[in-house]
Amino acid sequence: MRLSRFLNAFWGIPFVIVALGAATAVMLPFRSVLHPAQVMLLFVPIVLWIARAGGVRSSITAGTLAFLLVDFLFVPPYYQVVVSSPVDWVTMIVFLGVALVAGIQTGRMKERENAAVQRQREIALLNRLSSRLVSEKSVEAMASFIVHEVVAVLGAGRSAIFVRTEAGTATLVAEAGDGPAGLTERALADWVLRNDKAIALIASDDVPPDLRPVSIDAADAISGVVADGAYVPLQTSDGLEGVLYARPLVGSKPAFAGTRQLLAVANVAAAFLERSRLGEAAAHTSAVRESDRLKATLVSSVSHELKTPLAAVTARVTGLLEEGEDCGAERVHSELLAVAEDLGRLDSSIRDLLDLSRLESDAWRPRPEIYDLGEVLGTVAQRIPVGQRQRVRFGIPDDLPPVRVDFNQLARVISSLVDNALTYSPEVESVAVGARVLGREMLAWVEDHGPGVPDDEKQQVFEKFFRGAASGVSPGGTGLGLAIVREIVRHHDGRVWVEDVDPHGARFVVSLPLEGTAQ
Amino acid sequence: MTDSGPGAPERSARVLVIDDEEQIRRALRSVLQAHHYMVDVAETGGEGLELAIDRTPDLIILDLSLPDMSGLKVAEELRTWYVGPIVVLSVRDGDADKIAALDLGADDYLTKPFSAGELLARIRAHLRRTVSGEASIREIRAGELVIDLARRQVTVSGEPAHLTRTEFDILALLARNADRVVTSRMMLEQVWGPDYISDTQTLRVHVSHLRHKIEPAGGVPRYILTEPGVGFRFVGDEGTAS
Repeated sequence: MRLSRFLNAFWGIPFVIVALGAATAVMLPFRSVLHPAQVMLLFVPIVLWIARAGGVRSSITAGTLAFLLVDFLFVPPYYQVVVSSPVDWVTMIVFLGVALVAGIQTGRMKERENAAVQRQREIALLNRLSSRLVSEKSVEAMASFIVHEVVAVLGAGRSAIFVRTEAGTATLVAEAGDGPAGLTERALADWVLRNDKAIALIASDDVPPDLRPVSIDAADAISGVVADGAYVPLQTSDGLEGVLYARPLVGSKPAFAGTRQLLAVANVAAAFLERSRLGEAAAHTSAVRESDRLKATLVSSVSHELKTPLAAVTARVTGLLEEGEDCGAERVHSELLAVAEDLGRLDSSIRDLLDLSRLESDAWRPRPEIYDLGEVLGTVAQRIPVGQRQRVRFGIPDDLPPVRVDFNQLARVISSLVDNALTYSPEVESVAVGARVLGREMLAWVEDHGPGVPDDEKQQVFEKFFRGAASGVSPGGTGLGLAIVREIVRHHDGRVWVEDVDPHGARFVVSLPLEGTAQ
Repeated sequence: MTDSGPGAPERSARVLVIDDEEQIRRALRSVLQAHHYMVDVAETGGEGLELAIDRTPDLIILDLSLPDMSGLKVAEELRTWYVGPIVVLSVRDGDADKIAALDLGADDYLTKPFSAGELLARIRAHLRRTVSGEASIREIRAGELVIDLARRQVTVSGEPAHLTRTEFDILALLARNADRVVTSRMMLEQVWGPDYISDTQTLRVHVSHLRHKIEPAGGVPRYILTEPGVGFRFVGDEGTAS
């Protein structure tokens, strides 16, 4: 196969000459003892061998040349084309006939065999591509696989795949073989995408493969540019996905000559690119849908949480205005107290929203430093509304090691848990905040004596917008507090969970790693 | 918090408010005037700087986000000549600008939204310092804590607390600046002196020992609060308003 390709390229005639010359040189000393018919018989296998190696054309050349050689050198009178004996004439004509017929047959057989082998390799290639088509996810990996196969199996000197960008231009995703991608290559790929036309090589069997493969359409493509290879559009029902480029090995007749094979490969590549694009679009669509759903929940929850206190404030204030000068100072004072409370609620809703969106967009990364948990709890205690302060009992061991945390974020976590505990438990019940070391973790907890969290809600309570069904309390709030807690704790490589308190109540536990904590 | 002086903060001090938002200016003007302060308002940084020269306010409230120039720049320019307290308003806890403003010479910050009580407490705390001067304060009381600045003695619930010299200096500095943030840098300079090279880690160790001696049992400080990334704040009796 390799020899025949090599012969096809340039060396067909010289090879024939050398082979026959060698045979002649061997036989020449014995021409006096050999009968011309015997010489001719000896030449037949040589012609057949050349036919097998070189194909039909070489076999014709070899047969004719052998005929002349025998006539000139081995049939008396020597060194003349003249043949004296009529018997020799017959023998020679028969020889020529046999050499040609057998040579052509052998050459054809060999060519068919070559073609069959090549087809088999192509089928194997297409099989490999198809199985990859199913398993491969990455466009780059698939494209790289394809171009390497085109070089190895189809005998291209270089192959590349360009995909169509959103702007409609070609961008290189994979290449194999010799030489870097020239500007011309990209420009021609662009041209193919724009015009939806292939740039093909004229390389059918009746055009001798020469050193300058010619393109049909390249002249239209870019003036002054001669395409040095085939550019096959990767076409699907939706349009062009990209371009497959293959350049023949310099001076060889490529196996993708008729571009039939290249088209088959191109179809696989196009199918893959389309599927990958559709898959991406589908993933994107479902992500968009999910985010839309969350946004919708967010908007409804948020507009409710923002509007309720606003409505209350508006009602109270306009109420006071309506009453005018008559309303007593005491009434004004009590209304304003209520207004201040509503505004506090409004502020915490807005803060929840901002905090969660900052956390989720990674705009609020923890800046951990070494602190005593007590310092954080001091700030937490300050934030508890004065009226509720005596309900909260802090108790942490004196020898608690320092911990590496973002102060503001941890304060936010404990404050949220304390607020929750105060809201979900009866006014008469106290809330306890504690901490201890367990192994290489520090546990900090907030414990209340409210109704507790049912087992099937222990996970869900940390979800956004989750509201417990069993609590029987309608505390208001955005439903984001515990989601924020979970997000912050996650940023600290910690864990948070809720457990039961005997006889009733909930204990929210935050566990923070102590490893790597420098003293 | 109480001090030995009379009700000095309620005299008619002059406050300059630099904020680009009409609503905030109106609200602050109304609250401050109700408490007998004379109020000037400026909408832009440039206007604020001019009014500051013109009226020489006793205290300046400065919003960090201004339309014409950054609030940080305003603070920096004010500090080239203005010695009175500058209280910065910021939108968010842990805002980097807030810390930068303190470094540039602002004295304190308030996070929006704040209550009138909080604002007035801060203003009183800052004006007290400038009006009465440090020398006239002999004793500071907060909760169960009594600090006798003259005798350098501290008692907690009537029991004497034995503080080291450094611990006392830290406590005195914080308590004299009650209800306002004191940066670590300021503490290092005031307690150890400007030439002494020390670090915030050493400071934290001293504060930690001090807390053990004066704070209530249970490990949760009530008097000395940590301001992460900035320094510490002593909570007087007024500071408990929320």
